[in-house]
Amino acid sequence: MPSTPQLSPQEEQEKLLEEGISIVKNQSFQMKRCLDKGKLMDGLKHASTMLGELRTSLLSPKSYYELYMAISDELRHLELYLCDEFQKGRKVADLYELVQYAGNIVPRLYLLITVGVVYIKSNELSRKDILKDLVEMCRGVQHPLRGLFLRNYLLTCTKNVLPDTEEELATNDYEYGTVMDSIDFILLNFSEMNKLWVRMQHQGHTRDRNKREQERRELRILVGTNLVRLSQLECIDMEKYKKVVLPAVLEQVVSCRDPIAQEYLMECIIQVFPDDFHLQTLNPFLKACAELHESVNVKNIIIALVDRLAQFAQNEEGSGIPPEIQLFDIFSDQISQVIQNRPDMPPEDIVALQVALINLALKCYPDKVDFVDKVLETTEDIFNRLNLDHSSCSLEYGSPVSKELMRLMKIPVDSYNNILTVLELSHFGPIFDYFDYQSRKLMCSYLINNVLENDTRIPTQDQVDNILNIVNVLVQDQSDQPAEPDDPEDFAEEQVLMGRFIHLLQAEDPNQQYLILNTARKHFGGGGDKRIKFTLPPIVFAAYRLAMRYKEAKEEDENWEKKCQKIFQFCHQTVGALIKADMAEMPLRLFLQGALTAGEIEFENHETVAYEFMSQAFSLYEDEISDSKAQLAAITLIIGTLEQMSCFGDENHEPLRTQCALAASKLLKKPDQCRGVCTCSHLFWSGRSASQEGELQDSKRVSDCLKKGVKIANQCMDSSVQVQLFVELLNHYIYYYEKGNDQVTIQVLNQLIAKIKETLPNLEANEETEQINKHFQNTVEHLKLRRDGSETEGPSYEELVL
Amino acid sequence: MSFFGFGPSADIEIVLDGQDSRKTAEIKTEDGKKEKHLLYYDGETVAGKVNVTMKKAGSKMEHQGIKIEFIGQIELYYDRGNHHEFTSLVKELARPGEITGNTSYGFEFQQVEKPYESYTGANVRLRYFLRVTIVKRLSDSVKEQDIIVHTLSQYPEMNSSIKMEVGIEDCLHIEFEYNKSKYHLKDVIVGKIYFLLVRIKIRYMELAIVRRETTGAGPNTYNENETIAKYEIMDGAPVRGESIPIRLFLSGYELTPTMRDINKKFSVRYYLNLVLVDE
Repeated sequence: MPSTPQLSPQEEQEKLLEEGISIVKNQSFQMKRCLDKGKLMDGLKHASTMLGELRTSLLSPKSYYELYMAISDELRHLELYLCDEFQKGRKVADLYELVQYAGNIVPRLYLLITVGVVYIKSNELSRKDILKDLVEMCRGVQHPLRGLFLRNYLLTCTKNVLPDTEEELATNDYEYGTVMDSIDFILLNFSEMNKLWVRMQHQGHTRDRNKREQERRELRILVGTNLVRLSQLECIDMEKYKKVVLPAVLEQVVSCRDPIAQEYLMECIIQVFPDDFHLQTLNPFLKACAELHESVNVKNIIIALVDRLAQFAQNEEGSGIPPEIQLFDIFSDQISQVIQNRPDMPPEDIVALQVALINLALKCYPDKVDFVDKVLETTEDIFNRLNLDHSSCSLEYGSPVSKELMRLMKIPVDSYNNILTVLELSHFGPIFDYFDYQSRKLMCSYLINNVLENDTRIPTQDQVDNILNIVNVLVQDQSDQPAEPDDPEDFAEEQVLMGRFIHLLQAEDPNQQYLILNTARKHFGGGGDKRIKFTLPPIVFAAYRLAMRYKEAKEEDENWEKKCQKIFQFCHQTVGALIKADMAEMPLRLFLQGALTAGEIEFENHETVAYEFMSQAFSLYEDEISDSKAQLAAITLIIGTLEQMSCFGDENHEPLRTQCALAASKLLKKPDQCRGVCTCSHLFWSGRSASQEGELQDSKRVSDCLKKGVKIANQCMDSSVQVQLFVELLNHYIYYYEKGNDQVTIQVLNQLIAKIKETLPNLEANEETEQINKHFQNTVEHLKLRRDGSETEGPSYEELVL
Repeated sequence: MSFFGFGPSADIEIVLDGQDSRKTAEIKTEDGKKEKHLLYYDGETVAGKVNVTMKKAGSKMEHQGIKIEFIGQIELYYDRGNHHEFTSLVKELARPGEITGNTSYGFEFQQVEKPYESYTGANVRLRYFLRVTIVKRLSDSVKEQDIIVHTLSQYPEMNSSIKMEVGIEDCLHIEFEYNKSKYHLKDVIVGKIYFLLVRIKIRYMELAIVRRETTGAGPNTYNENETIAKYEIMDGAPVRGESIPIRLFLSGYELTPTMRDINKKFSVRYYLNLVLVDE
């Protein structure tokens, strides 16, 4: 037995459709032939048979649509033919009655519509009455799919013949009808179509529900076309829209109690009618929103409306929002009504509505900060109501509510791009409490990044206090933070942000600036050891900068010296906090920087302050820095700092430089010693003391240092390092020789050069040697130039042996 | 047929007055074909001429008299032998004698009563005809000519609408309304069906026109129902509160007037039948 292959549902649809279409083609061909021969009745009979195909129940909406399109194309041909005949004066009496003899209702009504429109176009009978009759007769098709398409055919055919004239103008042509007749016509068709569409939902098996809903969505445009048609009637003015059209449409939408229909139609209304209509009908529209089925996503509808109006408000060509319409208040009230009506509304949707509202406020009333604040206040209230004890159940990161709330909070940040305006929103900060740790961190980073990107300066202590309270999660440990520490990289990134942020705390007035720094210090001071490493140094630097400002404007403030002293106390104490956190190198540098700054400012007592800072640096060096590399780096810095300073009298300078020399010679490794001592030699040459004019230029001590260097270098075991040190020493010697140090003679140079030349070739050839060789060659090159150069100034190189 | 010259050697033709100008009407014959005949109304005079044409020019025909009858009769198909004549009028056209050549006889039935309408049904036929008989010794020459009679009726004084609520308990309740209870033959039935309760899945609804022909009397009464028209008025399943319009043009269907107890032999009545088909 040959087995018939089982067709998949899709194949079956294709097959059915193909069959239908072929019948349609055949019948329409015959119809046209009959019409060409003038056999109208036969033509109609074929048309009716063709239309019989639309009686099927087997096709899916998609296939039915294709069949419908094929047939309505053919019907257009019939319509054209009939219109032609009528125009030629060949009228067929009672055609409108004739087509009604078709026994089946679906073909009958399609034919009736076709003929009805021909009558209208040729002004046969009353247009008004025909329209009314057609839309009433269509009630006979109660099958949802067939009814929807039939009524769509009605709507399509009547597209260009709907009366669109004002009532008063049409008094002498009553039969023609007015726009009111068109409105009645479309509204009736709309409500009938919507009922059919909604009815589809309740047909068939529950397990096919998804499929059914999908099919319904495919058909929605058919229903929506009614609204489009209404919007195309030019004579519908604001009055008619407000009093007739919208109430009827809304009544149908609300009463159908079908989520899919409600959602689609409400959005449809928003899209098809003009903005100024919406503006005048916000209350009824939003009221209807509140009455929609609970599973309707009202949020989307309201957001769509808000977006449209916001766009309208920003459109420059438009007239903008009329001042008499309190757009924000209306939305605000109606949205809270919607929320109240829906106790089951998910919180993320509630927040999304607030997002819409805040967008509206920002786009339509960019100057009204209080509107935005009101939205935030409402949001806060909502959360208060949702969870009375918010600290214990904050919004989990990544949850829809949390995401939505973040979106809400980012809007004012992004739209103002100015943290200071954001701070005017009194309800902005408190909402942060509802976020969990992770979300709070993200939000705060976002906020701070915004400040940084916009280079917003924070000019007052209150504002600083305010911001730091808001971004507390980045400043201090939190009660709800997870036990395991944050990812170190992320943590560093956040803290670097805060460090950069500190530099933006800038007041016009130095006194205010001082208060700001104090506040910042208070906040950041509690940040724990890990954070202060990032946050306190910028504060210290800001404080130094402030001290410089006082100095620059010392004429304006007679108390500037005292203030400077206070600042240095502040810095001293702040650096102290870092030391307590087991840091040494950073505080050492901060002290040195402080000493430099103090030395430069020359306020009363500045020498003592500078000395204190230097000595603090020394004690850090001695007590806390043990790594030899770090030691060398530190002592080099100390020496460099001291070399730069000129505020110390001899009684202070002397112990300091001696201490430097001592420390340098006490370094653990010989090469370090050698280098330290050499560096130190400069203290005795270009160092300055307040007690005497100019540089110290103590040739003897310089020479002693260098000799000591040579001695230490000689003790080095590693010949490669030794040569390197000799080359470095040679450079130091040359420097001093050129500077005119009388203790440095050309013989010393010659000796060193000879020594180097002797040792250098014995070195193992490698990269390091190469580098040393290069250094030496460059040095020799320099000397050659000097010797052979025409310059007469400076010491003579005649006796130099190269 | 003309065996041995005994057959009719003359053609008989009945020519009614105003044949060209008078309205005609169609009627079905017993075998379903349609015939067209002149149309008369009650009380109208039926007049005309009878032409007797000799087949062979110059021949003669002897006869026992020529008469014309006007007959209205009811034929019951199951009783073929008995035709009930309710009207029978006779006029003598010629006394016994001899016809030589073609002859014409005028006749006139003045203001004939034609109380019933011509009708062809399933079991009964009501017809009017003229019969010319040339009485001859062996076999008469007979010629019949049908006419159609339409009766006229007045618009009824009372023609209230039909309104009724019907249903199946807890399943379906509908209320239907037809605008009239009496319709003329070219009338339009306008009405609506209002669904008060729908708990079944209806596939479609149609309106049928049923003709009920009743013949016989007493125990021999016989009813024949015939569906004249089936007219779909609704496709698909309505829900509660839906109201479906009805508009049915009658002129397209082969209807006759309602006939009540015609000559105590038969009646023809029409019913509207509302059919709801569920799944």
